Amino acid sequence: MNTSVKMILVLTIIATLSGGLLSFWDAYTSPKIEEYRQSEVKKAVKEVLPPAANYREKVIQTDSYTFYLGYDGDELIGITFNIKGGGFQDIISLMVGVTPDFKQITGLSVLDQKETPGLGTKIAVDPSRKGEETWFTEQFKGKSPFPEMYYVKNKQAGTENEIEAISGATISSQAVVTILNTHIPAAKTAYESLNQ
Amino acid sequence: MAKKVTIKEDFLKGIWKENPILIALLGLCPTLAVTISVENGLAMGLAASFVLICSSTIISLLRNLIPKQVRIASFIVVIATFVTIADRYLAAFYPDISRNLGPFIPLIIVNCMILGRQEAFASKNGVGRSILDALGMGIGFTLVLIILSAIRELLGSGTILGIQVMWPSFTPWMVMILPPGAFLTLGLMIGASNWINDRRAK
Amino acid sequence: MELLVIFISAAIVNNFVLSQFLGICPFVGVSKRVDSAVSMGMAVTFVMTITAVVTWLIYHLLLVPYNLEILQYVSFILVIASLVQLVEMFIRKVSKPLYDALGIFLPLITTNCAILGLALIAVLREYSFMESLIYGIGAGAGFTLALVIMAGIREELELADVPRHFQGAGITMIIAGSLALAFMGFAGLI
Repeated sequence: MNTSVKMILVLTIIATLSGGLLSFWDAYTSPKIEEYRQSEVKKAVKEVLPPAANYREKVIQTDSYTFYLGYDGDELIGITFNIKGGGFQDIISLMVGVTPDFKQITGLSVLDQKETPGLGTKIAVDPSRKGEETWFTEQFKGKSPFPEMYYVKNKQAGTENEIEAISGATISSQAVVTILNTHIPAAKTAYESLNQ
Repeated sequence: MAKKVTIKEDFLKGIWKENPILIALLGLCPTLAVTISVENGLAMGLAASFVLICSSTIISLLRNLIPKQVRIASFIVVIATFVTIADRYLAAFYPDISRNLGPFIPLIIVNCMILGRQEAFASKNGVGRSILDALGMGIGFTLVLIILSAIRELLGSGTILGIQVMWPSFTPWMVMILPPGAFLTLGLMIGASNWINDRRAK
Repeated sequence: MELLVIFISAAIVNNFVLSQFLGICPFVGVSKRVDSAVSMGMAVTFVMTITAVVTWLIYHLLLVPYNLEILQYVSFILVIASLVQLVEMFIRKVSKPLYDALGIFLPLITTNCAILGLALIAVLREYSFMESLIYGIGAGAGFTLALVIMAGIREELELADVPRHFQGAGITMIIAGSLALAFMGFAGLI
């Protein structure tokens, strides 16, 4: 047999087998991966909303944000959405929950970050504070994103716009604040234009 | 002097004498990148070993059918297929590990250790010997990853597999879990393995 | 502005070699002399830029519309392998001196994990076409930078008295560690 014919034949056979095997595997694993992704989002959404006895949710997709509306029975208790922005080294992805009028933050959680291990990662988990490892995101609860949030260093946060920065990771702390300051007003506008 | 190759040798050479990381310096990228914790190191070692063993088996079975000119392309397709399988498996069943390892699972495709074993061994030897060779290399690779990640996790976070082992007042050496720590630790390990080899040769 | 940030991030702050650990094999293997380091860096940058563009097109115009994302790895690596081959043939036709300078490094590039890593990370971060292109150039520049610095140090090192067991790979790793430490100082630049 001609060598080049054999070359093409062998490569085609290998590629076909590989494609077949993979499409079978894709059908097997894809639903599980999708299911996990959904459950992660669900978990994060519930985490940043106030507790509800009779919880259910509604999803509204817009061009720029996906809003998850949380209800307790028939009452709208909060709106959550995913926001992203640049951190110290890479993108930080956050899930934030606000009251229906956007005036107060009901919760914040870090979905993804690649900050400096041991310093910037404290925005998600701070192992040095036993028992309150997520203090950084916890402190956003009840704070107001308007007119603007800012951070203070090495002292307790006072006003409802203030949060305490992580010492040694001011830039990561600032990044989180900046992401909130950019996206919450924009999300508010997007959300309000939905109801009109 | 030609030594007689035994079954035991096929298996054992990967663990120390031709260790893919310490001696052959192959597959260094994942070695350095993922060894922040023992869990990650172990997962990477097992994933790479799985791909190596499966690819070696297939390549060794097909070794007489693949024309020489397209062998590298064929190896890569086979390896990439098994890497996709491993990657999807982790994403579906161990999502946390999959997220920690990020792009380094797909990067097993270009791990020179795996392609190297296909070229140097599996494409020239029978199935049985190729599997033994892959098994030995896989274990050698995994062992080094475990040792390296154990050193880094212990000093960098004071834990092993997430369990606190250092005394409570121990201040973690932050640098160990940052990129410089990876290079320094591996450098010292390579030096140490050279020293041990030297001692044994005497 | 956004594009400048991507470039600086890929080239310096998140340097491909020293903080992302991509392309370590050539970093250890081809960093003995400055001139070959420069050639290798140029070849890699060249291939990286083309790869960034071509894999973006393949992913967004072929794999996503036909729901074939599972073939991402297989198709990317095949594309890279054939690209390297094409580039090699092209350079040989067009410029003999350039081929002489880059020629021996080209085949090595297929298995350089920095190239595949670049393509995968660009997809993970959902970069646009322009962003991918800039990311490719930045990553190549960062790779070249790390390689040339390393080669410069290793040339000097020939005169130094390195402990016997650390000669070669051992000392290279330790120097790379110090370089990585220095590059960490750039963090926060963006």
